[in-house]
Amino acid sequence: MSDTAPGVTASGPQPNEAKAALEARNQWRVWEKSVARHATEPAFRLGLAASFTAESLVPFVGAELLQMGVSPAVWVAPYNQIFQVCLDPQAAFGADRSPDAIAILWRMEDLLTPELEAFASGDRTALPSALDKVDELCAAIRALRAAFPGILLVGVPPFPYLHHVDTHSLGPRSNLGHFHRKVLSHWHDLVDDLQGLHLLDLDAAQRDFGAGHSIDHRKWYLYKQPYTDAFLMHLAYQLGRLLQLLRKEPKKCLVLDCDNTLWGGVVGEEGVEGLQLGDEFPGKAYRDFQKLLLGWRNQGILLTILSKNNPADVWNVFDSHDGMVLTREHISAWRIDWNPKPENLPLIAAELNIGTDSLVFLDDSPFEIEQMRLARPEVTCVLLPEDPALLVETVKRSHLFDRLEITEEDRSRADMIAQERRRIELKDRITGPQFLQSLGLHLQVFEPRPEHLSRVTQLLNKTNQFNLTTLRRTQEEVKRLLDAGTFRLFAARVEDRFGDYGLTGLAIVQQVAPAVWYVDTFLLSCRVLGRDIETALLAFVAQEGAALGVRELQARFSPTRKNAPAANFLPGHGFRPSQDGLWTIECDKVPPRPPHIKVS
Amino acid sequence: MADRIITLFAETLDVPSEKLSEDSSPDNTPEWDSLAAMNLVSVIEDTFGVELSTQEIMKMRSIGIVRQVLRDKGITDV
Repeated sequence: MSDTAPGVTASGPQPNEAKAALEARNQWRVWEKSVARHATEPAFRLGLAASFTAESLVPFVGAELLQMGVSPAVWVAPYNQIFQVCLDPQAAFGADRSPDAIAILWRMEDLLTPELEAFASGDRTALPSALDKVDELCAAIRALRAAFPGILLVGVPPFPYLHHVDTHSLGPRSNLGHFHRKVLSHWHDLVDDLQGLHLLDLDAAQRDFGAGHSIDHRKWYLYKQPYTDAFLMHLAYQLGRLLQLLRKEPKKCLVLDCDNTLWGGVVGEEGVEGLQLGDEFPGKAYRDFQKLLLGWRNQGILLTILSKNNPADVWNVFDSHDGMVLTREHISAWRIDWNPKPENLPLIAAELNIGTDSLVFLDDSPFEIEQMRLARPEVTCVLLPEDPALLVETVKRSHLFDRLEITEEDRSRADMIAQERRRIELKDRITGPQFLQSLGLHLQVFEPRPEHLSRVTQLLNKTNQFNLTTLRRTQEEVKRLLDAGTFRLFAARVEDRFGDYGLTGLAIVQQVAPAVWYVDTFLLSCRVLGRDIETALLAFVAQEGAALGVRELQARFSPTRKNAPAANFLPGHGFRPSQDGLWTIECDKVPPRPPHIKVS
Repeated sequence: MADRIITLFAETLDVPSEKLSEDSSPDNTPEWDSLAAMNLVSVIEDTFGVELSTQEIMKMRSIGIVRQVLRDKGITDV
């Protein structure tokens, strides 16, 4: 069995699990005591609502969040009050408790009991009534989504287990399967239609884990708490991962070794024909690995090579080995020489315009991994296994590129980098203004529509460099801004003759006085820096403002570790320092659109 | 060293150990409610590496009885 499916057996808790459970409980107990003693204000408040007793989940989720470095509070709504929570969360969690996130977990056994029983015994007419109930639940969640600004997670119910139905005999078992799939499919359709929900897949979790090992019959009968501690820990881990994803910046780039990583063997010693790479094991394992990498590239993860090798040898494999899945075109940057890898790695990051903390380094050499960990602790390092059969699984299990949604921009990012390479080649041939002129830049500015929300949120949360205020926001918060009358959002799409950069700029202004806009957010993706796009976007905002009677713009620069590229933006565009760190400018003093950029 | 069982109850119920005795039960210890009882089952099982049956769980309505149940299951040092 794998490491994420710890083996609970029918004979009771296993020592490792018991130890982990005790440790988590202990960690949570100590934390709660210290919160009570010091009246600590939690940084992240999670409300749980479940159709079953969910209190047992609290210490495990709490410990997960603590390990992620978050100061959490975890509250549980009264047993089986999902609808009440949806309609009035304040009343359910307590008047003085307002969660940052609410997770709603339900089981078919609890909410669809009569329909499940009837269907299990062969009464197919029970299905429509079950789907009606799911509609009702979804309507309640829709109401909650509309009223609650925070993160909202909803569970995907696991395969049902009814104590009074013989779920092991063939007929009921297959009926239950049918019922489960129908209801799940309906649930997915409904939830997909609602924006701003995130799924916690209890069904997948139970499948990973094994249904037999996830249910604690004693605690179900005694406390209406259906799950084993081991499964609850597994759920807590999934929940923690999901919550972490909602805030953290995802990794952007893989840094790959070549020998015994992309192929088996050492090209410098064995030559191209001596390498293991093909349709038979072990070559097949490396080919599968390359296919996995290519899949990631198609989702926007950049692939780069950092190898101690002769460049000619490496490219010779790319060009002439017919087992290769990856081609030169797929590699966004590379350093192939004999310099220490920790010295080369920042060069790759710099070339791609990303921080070293968004890199993931893969290598088969424990030495290289250790050296990198010591020298560049911000880089995620994964040591590849000696046995090629475990290669793909090891890398998948590292959950390197978990993300909630894959946007169109993600899908085309690697292609855009290839275009960027061609742009740079052009830049080498001609000089600055001439170069900009030759690009044929086109900036489209528009108010974001619902379909742009996930990309806008991604920009808000991922843009580090050219970002005046670095205000992070959830998708729900962005949606609220759009609906609030006092804010205006300007999304910017940039194109040039090499291709489409996509939605890469954002300005948010707030009307703070009848003739004054405060620039709440002004950011550009690093993909479009160095092209005077910021000047064009500012000119557009000022022009829009002027048309609406705005006379003055106010703005602020909030320095972070990474946003130096935006430091000179305000003075550079004629803003003058005012009091309290504010900068101001009259709309008619804002520099005009640069002539090499077409704006619409 | 404090008694293992008393310490376990004190921590899980968040009650000072000097307030607990062999006679402490859900009836005279307000912190020992049904949610606490559920946690106690997990903590006892995980700490002593045993599995309790529902009969044993339902019987365990005082610290003294818990100690006896564990001794009956072969845990000698409690």
